[in-house]
Amino acid sequence: MRAVLRRFATGGGIAGTVLFALVVLAALLAAVIAPGDPMAMAGRPLIQPFSDWRFPLGTDRLGRDVLAELLHGARATLIVSGAAALVTLLVGITIGTLAGFIGGRLDDALMRLADAFQSVPTFILALAFVSIAGPSLASVVTAVSLGAWTAPARVLRAEILSLRRREFVDAYRVLGMPPLQIAFREVLPNALPPVITLAAVIVANAILVEAALSFLGLGNPNSVTWGAMIAEGRAVIRSAPYLSAIPGVAVVVTVLAVNLIGDAANEAIHARRVQVP
Amino acid sequence: MKLGSSRRGFLAGSLGVGGAAAVSRFGWAQGAARQGGTLVVAADSEPRNLNPAIIASNGVFYVASKVIEPLAEQSYDGDGLAPRLATAWSGAADGKSVRFTLRQGVTWHDGKPFTSADVAFSALDVWRKLQNLGRVVFKDLEAVETPDASTAIFRFAKPTPAQLIQNALPSLTAVLPKHLYEGTDINANPANTRLVGTGPFRFVEHRPGQFYRLERNAAYWDAGKPHLDAIVYRVLPDPGAVAAAIEANEIQLAAFSAVPLADLARIGKVPGVVVVTKGYEGITYQLTVEINHRRKELADMRVRRAIAHAIDRKFVIDTIFLGYAKPAAGPVPAFDTRFYTPDVATPGFSTRDAERLLDEAGYRRGGDGMRFRLRLLPAPFFEQTRQFGDYLRQALRAVGIDAEVVRNDTPGHLKAVYTDHNFDLAVGSPVYRNDPAISTTILYQSGLPAGVPFANQYGYADAEVDALIAKAAATIDGAERARVYRDFQKRVGEQQPIIHVAEFSFISVARDRLRNVANNPRWTTSNWADTWLAS
Repeated sequence: MRAVLRRFATGGGIAGTVLFALVVLAALLAAVIAPGDPMAMAGRPLIQPFSDWRFPLGTDRLGRDVLAELLHGARATLIVSGAAALVTLLVGITIGTLAGFIGGRLDDALMRLADAFQSVPTFILALAFVSIAGPSLASVVTAVSLGAWTAPARVLRAEILSLRRREFVDAYRVLGMPPLQIAFREVLPNALPPVITLAAVIVANAILVEAALSFLGLGNPNSVTWGAMIAEGRAVIRSAPYLSAIPGVAVVVTVLAVNLIGDAANEAIHARRVQVP
Repeated sequence: MKLGSSRRGFLAGSLGVGGAAAVSRFGWAQGAARQGGTLVVAADSEPRNLNPAIIASNGVFYVASKVIEPLAEQSYDGDGLAPRLATAWSGAADGKSVRFTLRQGVTWHDGKPFTSADVAFSALDVWRKLQNLGRVVFKDLEAVETPDASTAIFRFAKPTPAQLIQNALPSLTAVLPKHLYEGTDINANPANTRLVGTGPFRFVEHRPGQFYRLERNAAYWDAGKPHLDAIVYRVLPDPGAVAAAIEANEIQLAAFSAVPLADLARIGKVPGVVVVTKGYEGITYQLTVEINHRRKELADMRVRRAIAHAIDRKFVIDTIFLGYAKPAAGPVPAFDTRFYTPDVATPGFSTRDAERLLDEAGYRRGGDGMRFRLRLLPAPFFEQTRQFGDYLRQALRAVGIDAEVVRNDTPGHLKAVYTDHNFDLAVGSPVYRNDPAISTTILYQSGLPAGVPFANQYGYADAEVDALIAKAAATIDGAERARVYRDFQKRVGEQQPIIHVAEFSFISVARDRLRNVANNPRWTTSNWADTWLAS
């Protein structure tokens, strides 16, 4: 484990972790740095950034504090994408394990289902779902997960297929352990590492899909999100480009951080697997 | 409503600029009109049915009004009307008939003569039966007599104010060619998309997703007009693309606020580009807060007045509309001086009054500082209706009402508010069309079936308001009728069944070589016969 951590601590890994920690910190401290309602109209509209110390990042078209919106937006973004990634992984892992370990008709059925979901572009699926279910935290999380669960399911199924004929599995069978218990308690932990590296991709993707949905006005209108901030700023992009640029940079930084972490984790775990066949 | 004098001065100033620009252009127009040239304008939508006699809406009129003409058009001069296919009209003293004298020597674009039979057919079979607005105004129309080819007499079953019919002429009376429509399924007639009319331009081509093309009607009844050879409507749905196209002189007009308000200050400084605020008075929109009176809290007049007190109209106009709007006091816009009365007890902005009224009504702030919760549905029709929804949520929180914003697309919004009544507050944008009886009183009248959009689906029923609406509908004398509508404004101003926040209309951005812009109150939806392009 220490070796994995050492290999993880490359330039990219550290940079990603630091950036991500900053975003998490911003989300956690949002209520401390910018107390009160971030959607309150706090000042004169369209104050340029760095011109008024009360609004370091300026104000938007309705006079809302951009810094407060950004910090509270970080919170909304992390909650939505974190929840979406969690749901995606739980669903993907469950389905992948069942398909891989039990096999047969169940495997066929679940994998055809995955085919069906994969044949529709992820974002179209999310868009369709939110337009029908209406924008809310739960529907956005479900929408993001709908298109994403197939990737961990397939990766995990492949891992499980390669593990299910190993001797230790037979040993548990002989001991009389119920199959589902073997699958989830004994086989699954051995199959997890590639899925963990996939988690970073899922989180990054969830952030992007969530931002895109809010950009199109399909996010939760009662909370600040970065996507909605970019969309709001679009109307005045020629006179106040910072309104779109600031949340845009926030999305880029967060997604970059998550991807850097994912890459570093992938390399660290992959190296270990090559070394210890 | 109380307004600071500085506010009034500001508005007068901002509108004066547009007025001055338009007036100076009238000056050039005198005798100097250049013949020829193709006018290219931006279009943002392509209505499936272009027939203005069936679908009386601005999107349809924008194209169709050049091809198919009404009996009369709105005007800044005289009694507010300029003749088109009718040259004179007069109502009988008992209100049961209106006599129209029609223009002679007019031919349809296919060469057939225009006669009173076309008017009779349009009125009885189209306006009265099929048209969204005509179904209300012409509901008592019984028969149209045509003693000769240039006279049409409308006969009504019940007394109908001639003033209402006269005010309805510009928007509701597009005349269709009887010889193409008679005996066919009018809604499915091919002439609904390939228009045939009497107007200054002939319909030539529509390429979906690209353009509409209209060409000069050489046989137009107003000799010497139109000045333009052709009008091309380029389909440009993206506001950024519209602004770029007008800067590059690829189009000469972007109407209906196709250029976002936030971009106007910048684009107005581009050489050769002018921002025109006139020419839309006849289609004034009103930003309103629609209230569901089925909700116990909102059935209380004190709560409704408190909500009205919580809204800072100055902020809404300066920040959301960037000054391109006026505060509204009630259901009739100040522009229509015939009916408007300023003598209305509209609640002004005062959070203290709002809190006091809410306390009096028995809704005290709870442990979380909130009195009660509401669902707020901003209409998705305009950027401003959406933004006002965000503003209203904050304004209500300031006085202790927790509003949750629920967003829908247009069909979803119409269904939630006008069919399912599944809302507490909604942000709406009704249109005032030249007479309170056309599309305004229907917002207050009780007893309408569910599912009729832009009508009273709010559960509001007030015997006095209903009585005033009925009285006005049967009052033949114009001055007396206006007086009844002033009483109506006073009553709803006190009751606040719907809160009127602002009056707004559209802004045009035009190249300065386009002349005779905005010379009537519904210019963008009028026939453009006198519009010309300077070289």
